[in-house]
Amino acid sequence: MKKGETYNILFCGVGGQGLMLLSAILGKAGLDSGFNIMTGEQHGLSQRHGSIYVHFRIGAPLSPLIPYGKADMMLSMEATETLRYIEYLKKDGIIITSNRIMPTVIETKKLASDKEKKTKYLTVGQITERLKQVTSKVVVLDSLNLALQAGNPRTENSVLVGATVACADFPIPKEEVKKAVLALVPPKTIEANSRAFDLGCSICADCLGG
Amino acid sequence: MTVEDVKRTDTGNALLLANEAVVRGALEANVKVVAFYPGSPTSEILDTFSEVIDHFGDYKMHISSNEKVALETVAGASMAGLRSFTSMKSVGMNVASDSMFSIGYTGLNAGCVCLIADDPHAHSSQSEQDGRYFGEAAYVPMLEPSTAQEALDMTKWAFEVSEKHKTLVILRTTTRVNHQRGVVKLGRLDRTPFKKNRWQDIKGPYYTVGEVARALKAKLLQKIDAIRADFEESDFNFIVPGSGTVGILTAGVSYDHTREAMRNLRVKLPMFKLGTVFPFPEKKLGEFLRTISTLIVVEELAPYLETRIAALAHTYNPSLKILGKKSGHFSEMLEYNVPIVETALARVLGKKPSMDYDAILKKAEELKDMLPERPPIFCPGCPHRGTLWAFRQALQQLRIQNKIVFNNDIGCYSMAFLPPNEFSDSMLAMGSSLGISAGMEMALEDKVIAMVGDSTLYHAALPGVVNLIHHNANVTLFVLDNAVTAMTGQQYNPNSPYNAGGHEARKINMEKMFDALGADSVTIIDPYETRDCIAPIKKAMEADGFNVIISRRDCALYGDRLKRDAGEIIVPSENMKDICRSIYACIRDFYCPAIAIDEKDHKMIIQQELCDGCLECRQACPVNAPKHVKVKGR
Repeated sequence: MKKGETYNILFCGVGGQGLMLLSAILGKAGLDSGFNIMTGEQHGLSQRHGSIYVHFRIGAPLSPLIPYGKADMMLSMEATETLRYIEYLKKDGIIITSNRIMPTVIETKKLASDKEKKTKYLTVGQITERLKQVTSKVVVLDSLNLALQAGNPRTENSVLVGATVACADFPIPKEEVKKAVLALVPPKTIEANSRAFDLGCSICADCLGG
Repeated sequence: MTVEDVKRTDTGNALLLANEAVVRGALEANVKVVAFYPGSPTSEILDTFSEVIDHFGDYKMHISSNEKVALETVAGASMAGLRSFTSMKSVGMNVASDSMFSIGYTGLNAGCVCLIADDPHAHSSQSEQDGRYFGEAAYVPMLEPSTAQEALDMTKWAFEVSEKHKTLVILRTTTRVNHQRGVVKLGRLDRTPFKKNRWQDIKGPYYTVGEVARALKAKLLQKIDAIRADFEESDFNFIVPGSGTVGILTAGVSYDHTREAMRNLRVKLPMFKLGTVFPFPEKKLGEFLRTISTLIVVEELAPYLETRIAALAHTYNPSLKILGKKSGHFSEMLEYNVPIVETALARVLGKKPSMDYDAILKKAEELKDMLPERPPIFCPGCPHRGTLWAFRQALQQLRIQNKIVFNNDIGCYSMAFLPPNEFSDSMLAMGSSLGISAGMEMALEDKVIAMVGDSTLYHAALPGVVNLIHHNANVTLFVLDNAVTAMTGQQYNPNSPYNAGGHEARKINMEKMFDALGADSVTIIDPYETRDCIAPIKKAMEADGFNVIISRRDCALYGDRLKRDAGEIIVPSENMKDICRSIYACIRDFYCPAIAIDEKDHKMIIQQELCDGCLECRQACPVNAPKHVKVKGR
């Protein structure tokens, strides 16, 4: 990344998924790599299961908020939330999203109210079809399965962080990101998180390469 | 992580949330007494002080019962010669302001700083109140930082201003400053041991009334002049040089957006960045106004800077053209961002924004047309869900759904106004449900119901309770006792046996208190035994007089944390599909985010990773389908 440039990442997901840890990991990695970092975070009320986001900016940001159309990357832990913040992604930016869908109570109520039982939940396919109207670089990761492969279902975040460093213009070196992951996850889970990180990285590299 | 950075003794760089930077600034200023009532977007300040209190062991802290008590606590400590600090959300100052206006008159002794955080966009507040008027109205100096670094530096400086001029200093922020994280250069941390003073050595008069007040007012005006003179020299009021005769005046987070907007537009307009929103550095500002012919004022919320700079321009540059809210270039609504500022600047300069933001938003809106809302909702395991379900059943059984008025209050339970409950007829401010109920009880034939949480009860509802009992009012009061101040992050309150840092404190005995006040009845229910709650609720609603229902169960987030800390396993529930008859009572009236429908068989399924195992849904289910089936740790 050239001096004076800014790399913008929009994190999003659902309250309780560990978005703040994700932000802390990349924040530490960025700072340790000598970058300036600025974030705009949504804290506020502590209810679980609301829509949440972090504007994460590396390089030369001046405002805590990414302008619409200027995010280089979206990193999402829940697929419907990816679409919710799509205005921030630049044309042909990278989307890394979990394939996880957490149905909202509003949808569940609609299903329950439909006597003919024709109403369906939104699918990952429907969402990616929309996302692809903004960018061709959509990486959908089965983060839970990959986490299970890594040996711990709670390492989904590391899968997603691992995926970021597979992207060509991602400014923070892979080693620094991995170091930050391993420094900030619970000590007992270091090995599983390390495997999850590597899995996320290699799968994302395959997706973008193909 | 960042709380560790707050403790660091070196002067290197750290990535800090601005709220943490404020804590660091106060610690570098050797603060000795802190007191808070939590409120978004300031809660992390309280939480951070609470987390590092034992590490430092050289300051004292209260989680106060409300913001007025907190402000009085730190004012008292300042009078007694110790540096002190409090913070509160915008509307917190409404509560505290009664004393704040008098503190302006009496002045203080040791450095005393109060942060107030406005919430443009009302992300987590009942209004977009603009707190900048407090400084001017109370003759209390007010500073406004733009970044995490300034949050640290200004907090430290605020202590100096306060101590030099023997005045309270207010630090004003907005949500986007409090919740921005940035790289901060730490300052020296020179803490001294905690030591009490003797009143005889430091005492001063701190009272104001009548003749005394008039004399104090005259001195106060001189004090403000002296502070203004200091602010003329402050580096926090500075000019960013640029070219041309169109200039900008801005402060706070708008400065950040404006800088980036100018970079995007590839323009460099001369810009005055104001750090002291009261009093203004009038000469410095006036000189700046003389160098330009048009001024663009960039500020969120009310045209506070705009109207004051217009008055100043009369003296310094009467022909100055001022563009802002009154000219229609900016809105008094909501919060700003780079695109909003960039579009307004582009319009003034006759340029095009760096991107077609409107087209991007329009396209995004089309792409999102199928997207379901994800509104705020009670957490899985939340006891409020059960209480409100039982309340609804009671209303139906008594057939009085249309013969009640429901006055709600401030807390997680405010969400009772949303589906599936939609109960709230009023919801104004902390403790307001009681006062509103007093008026409605006189004016309406209906049954009057008020609802408060435990923290709100002790915050501002007690005078309203006393008032209702004293006037023999017919009101049913629900107290949702979930052990902590849940909404802001489960802080302790007078209903907890703990205070800051988890130190022991005395828990107020709620039922004894209501008894002693003379409530006609006090009934305790357990919202997890949801069906059993219906009968006592009905009884309380049918009775005359002031009847209290205390619905008691730990906040699920707090309770789960206690369980995890104790090594206990949280057992999620499962829906027994052979029993389930797809009645969907668990969905229609319940709205638990852990509950979904299996599209294969249209039976309810409980999402295991979300479920808290509270089994309130079993209580709502006519056929008892949800059960704990197997023990799985989380």
